Amino acid sequence: MVAKKTNKKSVKPPKFGPSTIRVRMYRIGFGDCFLVSLPVANGAGGDTHKHILVDCGVHAKGDLDMIDRAVDHVGVTTGKKLAIVIATHSHQDHISGFSNKFTSFEIDEVWMPWCEDPKDPQAAKITKRHAALAENLERHFATEARTARVDKTRAAAMAAVANLVQNKTSLGLLRSGFSVGADVRYLSAGDSLKNPAGVPGLSVRFLGPPRDEKFLSKMDPPTGHSYLKGGTSERLHAIEPFAERWRLSANDPAVAHLRFSATATEELQKELATPSLNALAFALDQYKNNTSLVSLFSFRGQQMLFPGDAQWGNWKFWLDQDDAETILQAVTFFKVAHHGSHNATPTDALEKMSKGKFAAMVSTQNVPWDSIPRIPLMTRLGEMTKDRVVRSDSLALVDAPKAPKGPALTELPKGFVQGDFWYDYLIKL
Amino acid sequence: MSYNMNDETPAERPLKAYAFDPSQGHNLGNFMTVPVRYEPLQAGPVGEYLAVVDYDASNNTYYQPVDLDDRAVLLRGGLDPSESDPRFHQQMVYAVASETIRRFEIALGRKIRWGFRGAKKDDAFSRKLRIMPHAMQEANAYYDRDLRAIVFGYFPASESDPGTNLPGQTVFTCLSHDIIAHETTHALIDGQREFFMEPTGPDTPAFHEAFADIIALFQHFSYRDALLEMIQRTGGRIYQQQLAPRVEPATGRPVIQDELSTTNPLVELAQQFGEAMGMRKALREALGTEPNSTALRTLFEPHERGSILVAAVFDAFFTIYMRRTRDLMRIAQSAGSVTSPGNLHPDLANRLAGEAAKAAQHFANICIRALDYSPPIDITFGDFLRAMVTADYDLVPTDRYGYRAALIEAFRLRGIYPEGVTSLAEESLRWCPPDVLKGIPAPVCEGLEFDIPKPTTPAQKAKNAKILSRFGKINARALGLNSDAKVQAFSFHAIHRVTPSGGVKVEMIAELMQQMEVPLDRADKSSPEFTFRGGTTLVLDDKGTVRYAIQKNLGRDDGHNVRLQRQREYYYSSEAAMAMATYGGREISDLLPRPGHKRPMNFGLVHRGY
Repeated sequence: MVAKKTNKKSVKPPKFGPSTIRVRMYRIGFGDCFLVSLPVANGAGGDTHKHILVDCGVHAKGDLDMIDRAVDHVGVTTGKKLAIVIATHSHQDHISGFSNKFTSFEIDEVWMPWCEDPKDPQAAKITKRHAALAENLERHFATEARTARVDKTRAAAMAAVANLVQNKTSLGLLRSGFSVGADVRYLSAGDSLKNPAGVPGLSVRFLGPPRDEKFLSKMDPPTGHSYLKGGTSERLHAIEPFAERWRLSANDPAVAHLRFSATATEELQKELATPSLNALAFALDQYKNNTSLVSLFSFRGQQMLFPGDAQWGNWKFWLDQDDAETILQAVTFFKVAHHGSHNATPTDALEKMSKGKFAAMVSTQNVPWDSIPRIPLMTRLGEMTKDRVVRSDSLALVDAPKAPKGPALTELPKGFVQGDFWYDYLIKL
Repeated sequence: MSYNMNDETPAERPLKAYAFDPSQGHNLGNFMTVPVRYEPLQAGPVGEYLAVVDYDASNNTYYQPVDLDDRAVLLRGGLDPSESDPRFHQQMVYAVASETIRRFEIALGRKIRWGFRGAKKDDAFSRKLRIMPHAMQEANAYYDRDLRAIVFGYFPASESDPGTNLPGQTVFTCLSHDIIAHETTHALIDGQREFFMEPTGPDTPAFHEAFADIIALFQHFSYRDALLEMIQRTGGRIYQQQLAPRVEPATGRPVIQDELSTTNPLVELAQQFGEAMGMRKALREALGTEPNSTALRTLFEPHERGSILVAAVFDAFFTIYMRRTRDLMRIAQSAGSVTSPGNLHPDLANRLAGEAAKAAQHFANICIRALDYSPPIDITFGDFLRAMVTADYDLVPTDRYGYRAALIEAFRLRGIYPEGVTSLAEESLRWCPPDVLKGIPAPVCEGLEFDIPKPTTPAQKAKNAKILSRFGKINARALGLNSDAKVQAFSFHAIHRVTPSGGVKVEMIAELMQQMEVPLDRADKSSPEFTFRGGTTLVLDDKGTVRYAIQKNLGRDDGHNVRLQRQREYYYSSEAAMAMATYGGREISDLLPRPGHKRPMNFGLVHRGY
């Protein structure tokens, strides 16, 4: 008997093997935790792959309590051997998972952007100011929240500030190479590495952050604001520009013909003297995002782009214009920047990629910010990748039934495999 | 009885001010006297157009207002420059703002009006622009239409990188001549072209910034002492960014201050501000970088984009200055006179200064007059070039030195190309009269009333508005308007200009506006709606014949409306640029123009990006 031929093409899920690249996206909540496994022939001790961990963190307000499990699982998958650990920038949602667990790993190299280098004077200057402002903001917001109602924008600002503070432990571990003798490298735009950490065939080119003046000047929040009276930082206090003899109260007859009415005065105070703390919080967040290490991995014909949270609008100008477009066109894998926000990947960046040529992964959920990820961006991403894109929040978690739900996936796109709390993208070479 | 000149009211009230800002000290003619047009003043000072109200919102206090009619003040020709006396600050803002207004009035040929309306009738200053020299503690200064004011901030200079300032010293933005002129210009543009504050594309906010910088920069060339010194130290090449030291270093390296080479303040803006922010240089420069025809494709931040327009105009200005002075230099050189920096003969330096000042005045006038020849909304750099070429041609048909050719070439080098023209020849760039454009006789608007030089009375304005609306509707096709949308006559001015040949030209300028509500995304009817506008600027001769109809067609939302599409794309990309928008702090609908929408362009925010 001849077996009946069915019309349906059976889609065999791809298998992970000695000639497959794997990009694993763990679902940990609002944050990034990506494990890249590159095949190496004749690896030491019979290893078939070398592993790169790109970020490991989750935002306190978007935490699904999965990060520690993810770290353990990374240990199991890699035999506690990591060639490279990359921390793209020091936001909580990218580094909170870097805990003492890593001190029992074998790690060859740790990569961070130059902005995190404690020995770099420029970096130190920027970090000190931003840290002082962030801490002041956090204190102010906390005090305010105890007595006043917090509106939606304020809540969003508070979440942005929370992302910036309390990262000291993780940063300390990273900067010391987890005390396991890892080489710690601080990198900037224009740097490139060939066969780093003994991974043959891998070239890495860094597209951000740059060291040029224009970028640095954008790092300065507006000075001289009387943001918070009684702040501890050097400039957060009000100044009185003139001596006592020149000051007049509103009732003084000398200004009788000039003075503003009570309502007008109130309006002026509101417009001019109330600093926009929300704007400052979002600005500080944006600055930090733009310090992200933007890495382009070239490995055996594949071009994989990991931009951290850097906004395309910024880092494209630090390259030659033509160069930036060529890079986007050649990308075969794209870790979507900043959890799918419109800010990071605007339309013109996406349009420059080659339709159907690349696959993408987005580690995201709509808590704590409901405008991230941006829906029209996700739709367009689906079109540009010919549906070869997954979001981490599409994965239903058995252990976290209340986790925010992304769009349900009826069928996994080609090349993707689902795990317990991760998605894998496999590239067969 | 004979005529007694001393009975006339004085023409001028001399007032002292910094030519640049306190950081230049006594150098380079920094202490100057502004010949402000005389008017009766109250303490403040408060005059016809301006009311200086020295209220500090950060400290909730007023400061002593200055009485410029006080005998001690009058005898000195104004208070002496002082950073610690707020009355000098009030004097300076009043003087520089008045000077800027006066230039506009001369160039425009009429009394200016402000762009704000709707103040309460009992507000004594409802028609005056308020200026608050110490409004708040912030490193910023801006014009705010809703507040009907220009607000100036003050701030401590950087502790770690204060440049030429004392670390942590208080820097007053109201003491920068450039910043005062720049902000007053924003207010003046708003009075003539109210819709230029509605951001419809990347050029509109950039245009506002560029134009304000241009006026502030051209004002530098009217400071005689500073100009003379700069001419000496550049050997006549006033566009150079570096000045030769006053004394050539004997050993090759400077050891005393006069041996130091400094930057040229004539071509810089707001030096103290820039230094105080730790930038180690002025806030902006006239010429910036080399002309690059692709820069427009990549620069979108308003000041950066605007700097291209500034550089184009100044390229043309410096080129004309060199042309006008070439014969003087040749004469000097053929007489054996040295023309290297520091060694120019004083007579030669004087003549060069005269040429520079004259050319600067010409160019400033061309730019200001071009406002009248601009479309009412959605201005682009290319439109502005056409407006300049047309405005100048109308007043000075024979262009002996090639001003217009220099402008066209400078714009071309920077990639600024007007739309819808067949070539970059001057005739193609002038606005086309409607009879040539549409092939029908130019329509004539009859019955418009005005008396120059007096301003139009409210009754005349109301009557003219009705006539113009009807005229627009009837002649919609010829004037580039939609025949089925309402036509609103938005403004009307009668102007008179004196031509170089001595004649007087009388013209009328009117703005006709139309609008329609469209969704942000054509494919998605549920996306937020915004008001899309179109309109035509009419330039009429004294008989009412339409000489030019400078139009931005409203069109229809039919998928082929290029201008509408561009505006939609602009809103999307602006949203992407805003940090707050990412986190849902700002919805895109907050950015869109809608009926009753407050403050379409927030200069406070634009200026925070410097």
